Amino acid sequence: MLENIKSALFKIWITLSGVIVFFSTSFIFAYIIKNGFKSVNLEFIFGSPQGIPLGSEGGIFPAIVGSLFLMIIACIFASLLAISTSIYVVYYCKSLKIENIVHVIVQCMAGVPSIVLGLFGYTLLVVNLKLGRSLLSAGLTLGIMIFPFIQVRVEKIFREISSSIINSSYALGISKSYTFFKLILPICKSEIVSAITLAGGFAMGAAAPIILTGAVIFAPIPKSLSSPVMALPFHLYILTGEGISLEKSYATTLVLIGLLFIINIISIALTFIRKGVR
Amino acid sequence: MYKLLDKVFGIVIKLLALFSLLLLAFIVLFIFKESVVFFKEVPVLNFITGRRWNPLKSPNDLSIFNIILGTLYVSVVAIIIALPIGVGSGILLSTYIKGKWKIVIRGIIDILAGIPSVVYGFIGLLVIVKFFENTLDFSTGESVLAGGILLSAMVLPYIISTCQETMDKVYEEHSLSSKALGISKTYMVRKIVVPESRKSIIAATILALGRAMGETMAVMMVIGNAPIAPRLLGRAQTIPSLIALEMGMAEVGSLHYHALFASGLVLMIMLLIINIILYYIKKGIGI
Repeated sequence: MLENIKSALFKIWITLSGVIVFFSTSFIFAYIIKNGFKSVNLEFIFGSPQGIPLGSEGGIFPAIVGSLFLMIIACIFASLLAISTSIYVVYYCKSLKIENIVHVIVQCMAGVPSIVLGLFGYTLLVVNLKLGRSLLSAGLTLGIMIFPFIQVRVEKIFREISSSIINSSYALGISKSYTFFKLILPICKSEIVSAITLAGGFAMGAAAPIILTGAVIFAPIPKSLSSPVMALPFHLYILTGEGISLEKSYATTLVLIGLLFIINIISIALTFIRKGVR
Repeated sequence: MYKLLDKVFGIVIKLLALFSLLLLAFIVLFIFKESVVFFKEVPVLNFITGRRWNPLKSPNDLSIFNIILGTLYVSVVAIIIALPIGVGSGILLSTYIKGKWKIVIRGIIDILAGIPSVVYGFIGLLVIVKFFENTLDFSTGESVLAGGILLSAMVLPYIISTCQETMDKVYEEHSLSSKALGISKTYMVRKIVVPESRKSIIAATILALGRAMGETMAVMMVIGNAPIAPRLLGRAQTIPSLIALEMGMAEVGSLHYHALFASGLVLMIMLLIINIILYYIKKGIGI
């Protein structure tokens, strides 16, 4: 009897938690879409911020472009480092101890809060290296943020490749670099790109690291790496935090979420293409 | 020719890998270097245990005990709310939901994890804070509780996915034999799956705690940002929000500037410890 009651309570608990998760998720999306849909139009997407205070009228085009630029720089920088580290760990490193150390370090980097990365980017890039608040500083800071994210995934992808292919290649006397470029890379190219795209979406939504390193309230579309940028998350923060315009905040949120959604879809599609071929 | 290329490739890979690993050292070193200047003026102990934060006054008024408390308080509230819900949904997902639905729901949870924190802050400000102020008639909606509720939604995906990974494995391992023995599914889940996943639940808690403590934007927008002793329904301040709000105002090289680095250092040391513990727990359970 007691067991039955316990089982019933257990069932109620897990059903209830599932329902809560489902409803809170749907609430968030419904809320953004319902409120944002009215104010998003082509003029808003392709216009520049206007009005007094700035942002209360007009659009967000420079912020969209700025966010995309930031994402691209972050992805290039982070994937270069992350893929190299993964190649090193999987194909070059022979000692288990070093491998463990690498994993601890990557885990710790994943745990460094984004605002501390912003602080680091601010002292090193903005103040010490005199890059100023710019596209480059902010992009590199975001790159450091997504580095562990990409590294973990790419390493997993490399490890999933059957070692017999690689060993036969080595056995034939083919060099490591040739094996990598002609054999390993073609196998997992789209999966790596998928991981990078996903990380790019993550970088695009982050506001904390760019507050100190590059985002400004208004800037035209950046012309060079050293010009400051507008970014969607920062723009949203300013619109809401300063209470400039609620309507525009909803619209900005919808555009940001929409862009991230597209990025996610691309990432998922890339994985599926790969699976289809296999 | 190829031999040379191979050598160059090897060296480049090694250098880039070394550089990536040194990045963490750079980060710690830089934050440390900037903080040391501050600790020369204000003893570490005073900084951590003092209760006043007033950058415009004397150096003795720069201390962050209240702010550390605020950071911990919000995170713990978030975990208390999120843990039962997260573990429950983890169990539900790994044992009761199957096939297409499981993939769909996992996808939705992953999207939840991808929503930027500034969007969470925006929704928190307009929904949770407004609800506290208008419907429940609190004097201030911006509070530790609002931050906790918001953060709990943000850490849920981490808790669910960490728990589910282990529970899937345990369930698959034992489901056939328990079916053969004619044990009811609920009983089996309660007596085998949940206890066996104990360690991953702990790992999920620690991971979520680390994420919650480092979260900046969402918390900053709903917590009120007052460096006073935190109460559940009162305003508070967290270290990340302190840095994000005041760094722009602090003059480079001033004591205020270095004090913000020092608080960043305190936060980072707490999180590094959490992450090292997490690494060893995760290694113990093999995920």
